[in-house]
Amino acid sequence: MADTEPTVDFGFEKVAAADKAGRVRAVFESVAGKYDVMNDLMSLGAHRLWKRFTLSLTGLRPGQHALDVAGGTGDLAAGLLRQVGKTGRVVLSDVNPAMLDIGRDRLLDAGYVGNVECIVADAENLPFEDNSFDCVTIGFGLRNVTDKLKALQSMHRVLKVGGQLLVLEFSTPRAPGLKPIYDAYSFKVLPFLGELVAKDRDSYRYLAESIRMHPDQESLLAMLKQAGFIQARYHNLTGGIVAVHRGYKY
Amino acid sequence: MPETPSWLASAEAVLNRNIAASSEAKALARRLENTSLQVNVDGFTRVRAECLGGRLGLLAADESPADAVISGSPPALMQMFKAAVPSAQSRSSVQIRGDAEIANLYRELFAAARPDLEEELSRWVGDLPARHLSQLALSVRTWARRARRTAGENIAEYLQEEGRDLVNKTEMEEFLRGVDGIREGVDRVEARLKGLEQRAASSPRAKGT
Repeated sequence: MADTEPTVDFGFEKVAAADKAGRVRAVFESVAGKYDVMNDLMSLGAHRLWKRFTLSLTGLRPGQHALDVAGGTGDLAAGLLRQVGKTGRVVLSDVNPAMLDIGRDRLLDAGYVGNVECIVADAENLPFEDNSFDCVTIGFGLRNVTDKLKALQSMHRVLKVGGQLLVLEFSTPRAPGLKPIYDAYSFKVLPFLGELVAKDRDSYRYLAESIRMHPDQESLLAMLKQAGFIQARYHNLTGGIVAVHRGYKY
Repeated sequence: MPETPSWLASAEAVLNRNIAASSEAKALARRLENTSLQVNVDGFTRVRAECLGGRLGLLAADESPADAVISGSPPALMQMFKAAVPSAQSRSSVQIRGDAEIANLYRELFAAARPDLEEELSRWVGDLPARHLSQLALSVRTWARRARRTAGENIAEYLQEEGRDLVNKTEMEEFLRGVDGIREGVDRVEARLKGLEQRAASSPRAKGT
């Protein structure tokens, strides 16, 4: 790596900015098959409640358009499809084709056909026209993006005026006494579960590390404001282990 | 900016859904465009309400000034926001600062967008269970009211009739009538004494002539 080349975090490691996307892709290709099982196992099912809460904030109505960025296996997209109904449209996008394949299959199996599109897309350069969507969501994806501000600006661009961005992401625990327990769980139990279930200890160690390197609530809120979002705010869930950041485009 | 609690986000989502469904609430939200209201719930929290793009936003209040500020206890504020026309009692128990018209329009908006609990419940559990649950809640509330009234009557009756710690209404009225009778008697005696004193004072013997 040349000295002048910009570096970014890949977990606790510093890597060349140009390399991060490829390494993240490799992680998710490795875990794609067991992704949903691991989510349930690691969060003890809490990820379903976090996603349900996020979906309760969309304010979407039948006939509207929504985009799920880094949507992976399509949990949020399925909820968005229920909200926009048959007359609406949902785009599920992910930079990783392996994850997207699973998401598309799950949506098809759930009977969502016709008003859903699955598109391989980079969050930093979303391939959609300006002012296209009433709501954009990104669930547990932003921390894997190389340039988070650029991704937020890209999501701001594709939102319609009056549209809302919802970012569901791991954050910094705020509940007293939670942090040491959470740290122990993240660095001891998660890699062990990864090894046991997905046969991939390193990917789950990356997960724990990438969560620690992700901006805390206030920093991400400042990024949302910098990207142009109005009425930006955040809601802590499960003592701040997870936070929902949201903002509007006006 | 402080964290906005999750319950506030849920309340905002419900209110906005109701605003979208009501032409009256939509018109109010449009009139309140780009205005803000701070609600200070005594000893509990401070909430900032803002209308933007025809949508109501509920945020944790920061230090930025609001167009109007309403302060009061939770029951007083609840009473004020849920009533279509606030009672004189609820108005007197909350404080309003800043633009009173904006404060009143927000109050009207909250009242117009007030959620129907059965409707909200049905979103989570379905129509039929929500109907049953709301009927159950209504029955429980009616039973609780009746039980409270009956318990009050029974306790009063025990204290009056069995324990004799309190007097019953008839005895109390009889006692008060007696007190009135004595008072009237005393007044009469007092008037009589005054009359006698005046007569004694005006008699020639008293003057010593």
